[in-house]
Amino acid sequence: MVTSPLRRVLGLFANQQFILLLVLVAVMVYFDVHNGRFFSVAEFQNLVVDLSAAALVAVAELFVIVSGGIDLSVGSTIAVSGVIGAQAIVHLQSHHFGELPSLLVGTIVCTGVGGVVGALNAVLITKANLVPFVATLVTLSAGAGLALFFSQGAQIGYDPVAATWSSTGFWIFTWQALIVLVIVGVLGLVLHFTSYGRYNYAIGSNPFAARAAGINVNRHVASVYVMSGMLAGLTGMFFYIRIGGGAPQTGIGTELEAIAAVVIGGASLVGGVGLISGTILGVAILTVVTDGLVFINVSTYWNQVVVAGFIAVAAILQTVSPGTRKR
Amino acid sequence: MSSEKEPILELRHISKSYGSVRALSDVSFKAYAGEVIGLVGDNGAGKSSLIKTISGVHSPDEGEIFVDGVQRHWKSPHDSMAAGIETLYQDSGLAPDLTIGANIFLGREVKRRGPLGRLGFLDQRAMERRALVELDKVGITVPPSKRTVSQLSGGQRQAVAIGRAVMWAKHVIILDEPTNHLGARQSQEVLKVIRAAREQGICVLFISHTLPHVLEVTDRIIVLRLGRVVRDSLTTDYTVESLLGTITGLNT
Repeated sequence: MVTSPLRRVLGLFANQQFILLLVLVAVMVYFDVHNGRFFSVAEFQNLVVDLSAAALVAVAELFVIVSGGIDLSVGSTIAVSGVIGAQAIVHLQSHHFGELPSLLVGTIVCTGVGGVVGALNAVLITKANLVPFVATLVTLSAGAGLALFFSQGAQIGYDPVAATWSSTGFWIFTWQALIVLVIVGVLGLVLHFTSYGRYNYAIGSNPFAARAAGINVNRHVASVYVMSGMLAGLTGMFFYIRIGGGAPQTGIGTELEAIAAVVIGGASLVGGVGLISGTILGVAILTVVTDGLVFINVSTYWNQVVVAGFIAVAAILQTVSPGTRKR
Repeated sequence: MSSEKEPILELRHISKSYGSVRALSDVSFKAYAGEVIGLVGDNGAGKSSLIKTISGVHSPDEGEIFVDGVQRHWKSPHDSMAAGIETLYQDSGLAPDLTIGANIFLGREVKRRGPLGRLGFLDQRAMERRALVELDKVGITVPPSKRTVSQLSGGQRQAVAIGRAVMWAKHVIILDEPTNHLGARQSQEVLKVIRAAREQGICVLFISHTLPHVLEVTDRIIVLRLGRVVRDSLTTDYTVESLLGTITGLNT
């Protein structure tokens, strides 16, 4: 009787999600102690803006990784969709379209371009039978090049009105953040409570068993890459609003942050394992660390080194944790 | 044998070629409910081709398949599953990262009632509960099914996989090398489940290279050689030596 509450508390430490939460809080406290104002509305507004920019592609990457694949193309997709979306907006505004309607069309264009890149990944993987790493490496490279081509290397559009929107909303939540919250919430329900999510785990865990159970593996895998592309495209639109234009270098390299967040969140790169809560905590930790280092005046050059440390620790913890599969 | 009893599965003059290679020629046999049939033969004897034909992975070039007295044409494995035939392939098995319940109901998930169910939301509790009940029926006791399959032993995994096939099969289960890579005790667990399936009136086609297991659990053994049925007799008519001789063709 006496030991049971204690044991329950100790049991929490075996829970990876709880450890991630502790790490997140610890990192935030550390930054606050070093420079007294980390826990402030202003800083949290910054955090939420950065978090919502990173969260969608990380969750998309989680779906892909749980299904046994990987999507290296999300960063380029952000760039190419942002540039094309910006061109659409510039075109509409030159024909005296209002701000809101042109941004809505831009959102559709960005998401659509992302969907096309995702569909291309899906075709390369399910029809041409390329492994996801190679297929999405192809679109990573092509997307980055096309973003430069369509923009001729320069920012497309100058939209200061849109840029002001990136910081409006409720309290610490911007409009973008609220949209991200809804999408992540829905995708969390889909991944953990529906047959679509169940199939995602089954395919990543054992595609032969999934196929033998009557699951249309190719169709499911294709849908996951299309979704990933669309979410990257939507993120491209978010960046347009944030910087008030579409720039070809925007988002480049985001795929590595997304994969890092997923790994830190406890997902397995061989598929079949991973929770949305872990990925969100992973994104939060990476964002807090990146923003916090700036906050305490550490050179941003250290950013990637610190992130690398988090990935290494998370990966090592995964290999020693008793609950995970050793294959 | 019992001429008044209808066979649950009957193959008539099945032939199948891959290009110039004749994998099956004129294969015919009848299988009855509650019967365990061993299907043996050397590598290349046509065992895989035969189970793929029965389970609908491919269609035969010639011949007919009857299930419960009705002639069937499979377009895909779905068709044979719908007709009550479950196949457990060597490489398919289970998804190790899913729970036992999730595996048992994979591809046949129970949805929640009402609008949530129509959106694809799963009734996880109901599946976990029913999985335990159904496995218990075939004599498989597994730990609380919140565990993933990766936490089970090899024998338990195979037992769960067969239990799953038994649960969904109305008529026939096809087991491709189910005792491969298993230790002696684990193999016995698997053979126990096969006997439980027979008790439930299911016809089991047991494909194996492990002849002692075949002789131990089957009622009848069909020997294939070079795509033909060379012997179809009651298990009691074979010894290990005569069975081996028939498989290799060194005695006839």
